[in-house]
Amino acid sequence: MGHRALRVATWFFSWLAPRSQREAVIGDLAEEYVARASTASSSAALKWYLRQLCASAPPLLWIRLTRTTWIATLGVALSGYVAVAVVELIVNWAIANSSTTGAVAYNPLGMFITFPMVVLIGYIAARFRCAAAVTLAAMMLLSVTAMTLWATESVPTWYRIAYFLVGPAAIFIGGAVNSLRPAR
Amino acid sequence: MLLAVMRLGSNAYGVTVRREIESATGRDISIGAVYATLVRLESKGLIKSSTGEPTAERGGRAKRFFRMTADGAGSLRNTHEIILKMSAGLKGLQAT
Repeated sequence: MGHRALRVATWFFSWLAPRSQREAVIGDLAEEYVARASTASSSAALKWYLRQLCASAPPLLWIRLTRTTWIATLGVALSGYVAVAVVELIVNWAIANSSTTGAVAYNPLGMFITFPMVVLIGYIAARFRCAAAVTLAAMMLLSVTAMTLWATESVPTWYRIAYFLVGPAAIFIGGAVNSLRPAR
Repeated sequence: MLLAVMRLGSNAYGVTVRREIESATGRDISIGAVYATLVRLESKGLIKSSTGEPTAERGGRAKRFFRMTADGAGSLRNTHEIILKMSAGLKGLQAT
């Protein structure tokens, strides 16, 4: 039972630890486990080992997420994408509520209001990860292309062109503003 | 963490750093937290790491030794000076 639990815990540790630190982390734990098992009991050492596993999981996962660049970049870009969608929903809702007809379709006002907010989202994304703004702009371009290709309703040409340009351009501007910051 | 690495000198690796902090603070600290901080300090150039020889007591796994860089020592001196300056003359800090 003890050996099996130890093997499973070690497997979890090796999965959690980033590749560059894996051998050292598992080795350190093995060394401490042996030392504790020889001075106390095996069960006490195993309990300590399992406690270490629970307490180490968040910081080890954090190292993995922050050191694995592409995951972090994709995470930031996805968060930015969600933020853009939320902003768009709120702006459309506000326009629909303020207009007498309740129509929001193809309203240029929505784009004017959304534009600076998307620039801000691009700026924030680039501050977290330099490549996140570019990734986010590419994601927006892809989603706009997909929506245009599979759209069933007829969309005015000006709106289609503007939709293609506004989102990705705003994100690029946000990223460019961030790159103008002096390096620390 | 930097103080622990400095105190341990050439014998600073995960186990010894963890024990040093545990004995100084009286708190049980996880090995994951130790490595998260060491990795961050290394990325800032305050410490450097090197791999040691594998040993049997560690199941044939090598140790990762950490040592202070000149930048790390400078940063530590700075912080120490600031703490000394700001705490000078504070009566509330004296042991009763």
